[in-house]
Amino acid sequence: MNAREGTAERASRFWTNIGAVAYKEASVIRHDKALLATVFAQPVMMLLLFGLALSNKPADVPWLVLDRSRTGASRALLQEIEHTGYFLRPRPVAGYGEGVALLKSGRALAFVVVPSSFRRDLESGQPQIQLLLDGADPLSAARIGAYIAQVAGAFNLRPLPSTNPDAQTVTRGPIDIRQQFWFNPTLADNRFFLVGLAGMLLTNLCLAATSLGLVAEREGGTYEQMLASPTTPLQLLLGKLLPYVGLNYAVMLMATLAAAVFFGIWPRGSWITLLIITFPFVLASLSIGVLVSTLARTSAQAVFITVFFILPSFVLSGSMLPYQFMPEGIREIGAAFPLRWYQIALRAITERGAGLTDISVPFLALAVIFVVTISLARLRMNPRLD
Amino acid sequence: MKWRRLRTLMRREALATFRSPFTVSVLISVPLAALLIFGFVLSTEVKGLALGVFDADNSSASRRLVAELVAKETFIEKRYDTRGDLQLALVAGEISVGLVIPPGFDRDASGRGNTSPPQIQILYDGAEAPLAGNAEGFIRSLIARNVEVHRAPGADNSASRPISVVTRALFNPTLDGKPFMVAGTFGFVLSFLTVLLTAVSIVNEKITGTFEQLQVTPASGLEILLGKILPLGAIFTLDVVLMVLVAGFVLDVWPAGSAIFFVAVSAFYVQVSLALGVIISATSATAAEAVQKSVMFSIPLVQLSGFLFPIRNMPTLVQWIAEIFPATHYIRVTRAIYMRGDGPVALAPELGLLILFGVSLMVFALTRIEARA
Repeated sequence: MNAREGTAERASRFWTNIGAVAYKEASVIRHDKALLATVFAQPVMMLLLFGLALSNKPADVPWLVLDRSRTGASRALLQEIEHTGYFLRPRPVAGYGEGVALLKSGRALAFVVVPSSFRRDLESGQPQIQLLLDGADPLSAARIGAYIAQVAGAFNLRPLPSTNPDAQTVTRGPIDIRQQFWFNPTLADNRFFLVGLAGMLLTNLCLAATSLGLVAEREGGTYEQMLASPTTPLQLLLGKLLPYVGLNYAVMLMATLAAAVFFGIWPRGSWITLLIITFPFVLASLSIGVLVSTLARTSAQAVFITVFFILPSFVLSGSMLPYQFMPEGIREIGAAFPLRWYQIALRAITERGAGLTDISVPFLALAVIFVVTISLARLRMNPRLD
Repeated sequence: MKWRRLRTLMRREALATFRSPFTVSVLISVPLAALLIFGFVLSTEVKGLALGVFDADNSSASRRLVAELVAKETFIEKRYDTRGDLQLALVAGEISVGLVIPPGFDRDASGRGNTSPPQIQILYDGAEAPLAGNAEGFIRSLIARNVEVHRAPGADNSASRPISVVTRALFNPTLDGKPFMVAGTFGFVLSFLTVLLTAVSIVNEKITGTFEQLQVTPASGLEILLGKILPLGAIFTLDVVLMVLVAGFVLDVWPAGSAIFFVAVSAFYVQVSLALGVIISATSATAAEAVQKSVMFSIPLVQLSGFLFPIRNMPTLVQWIAEIFPATHYIRVTRAIYMRGDGPVALAPELGLLILFGVSLMVFALTRIEARA
């Protein structure tokens, strides 16, 4: 009887202690203007950047043309390239040497040379054009090359102007490719970024808040004061993390709603699934913040470790570049970051409308990362003063 | 300005930096980790993408098509028995591309059927937009290249053939992403690490009070500023040399232009960036504030400087903003030296801008330091 009461009392004290620490932490956060500014300014900044400013899709590409053929066919081909919408008006050059020199100076990205025999070759079977690209920007160059090759490959499917007006209008092509881009018909890059935006914001928030908060408290001596109180280190930790979980959910909802309202990206899956997968992610990220705080001795060190964790996690997780592009080895390193799994789940839910069962792998992975980091942090944490 | 005083200040700064094991390990490990990570992440080729195949034709022609697509390790084939299964796999994210070969493909390809060309259907997972874009380009060019294979021997050859595009990429024939990213990484690491390190070091000095002590010595503001940034600049220049060597020996990326010119330009840029760090710390009261400012500064640094996203693709207004960052110009210079092999003459306008930035930032930093004295 007595023992049971004791257990109940202890359990309730356990939770009141956590509540008390959480209350204290929440009021600290409420008065931390710099943190709040970051929490609210960052999503706006990132939303604008990713929604409006950044794209991997080439635009306004400056290019050079040396048209030695000077026929209707060559002009039609060049016009079609221009009409893909990725290019500026072509700049004609007088000779091959001039074109190469301009390309080398970086004033153009591509140089198309149409040979003088182009028209004849088009009829007799081996038409060819030459394309020189500025390989100094490989990503743009690869895409520009693909666009021009596409235009050129499709060009012969149309009848030649004025060759034979009576010819049938559709010539047989090699293989008729019917393609569809699911989930994102225009392949807009901003959609790719915005879907993963919540993940990047939460990574920032979780790491900055916990690692800095814990170290600052140790520096300020308030950590020792709290250890001297009847709260156990575990209660202290849980209490400190609780308000951040709430803050994270607020930021997550804000980012998702803003992407939906301003850019029309409404999640196709359910909001509840989104909320559920966010939980292990926030826990995993917070626990990494805790681990950082145990490794760093001063807040400056905590910042260094945090920043140099956040940046690779943005890049390697696949939030900014698809992780499928990365070579083996690097890809596996990326799997250690919680953001990798969270962004996989975000894309699945937002784009493909995935349900709970579809995201079980990311969920489990996040849970594993959480358990491993929090155990490491516990090993590193020396609860008492040395 | 007295040389003897400046020398003392510089020695003090260098000693303070090397005495902190944490700073030294950051100075060595961060540039190296950044080089190795960023050097590998950007790739223009797709590799190991899951390709779902529903082959309703199941003929030699359709099997040959699939075999060609998977031949180059670009795609890993996964077979599905129905169209429904294939679509479910795409929705579940198990495959990135779905290929549907309808019945009659073989007949149409061999020209035995009527006039319709052989048809295939390709479904892309647009949720990974950049990936889908590259996969599309790959599939299209592969199919275009293999036209001859699929054209039946006796089929009508009078129709004009597709125009072949003979492509050659200057400076980087294989369109390898490594040199592009390595050159950019210099800009990223140097800009960010210098700002963060100076900001933190000055704020720490303010907290411990040594900064005020410096200000009451006969040392002038200029001496304090130079005593701070010259030794740190020299240390970062060593970092640049280290990065050049690691990029060369480990990643096999050497500058196409003069390595000495590159190090000289970088040594100057580091000073510009350090001056920025001095300004940030001079305007911050606490370490946390300085850090938050540095981090806020790092977001546009990664995203607007052209390090990952070409500036040309941005809206005009954002392009102007991007031009304000010294890092934008430095990254442009590093890429020009690393990939095009440009020398001082070709880069004169960009170098001029960097010098302009450097002088104005240092003058501003000086006023901030003297304002406190």
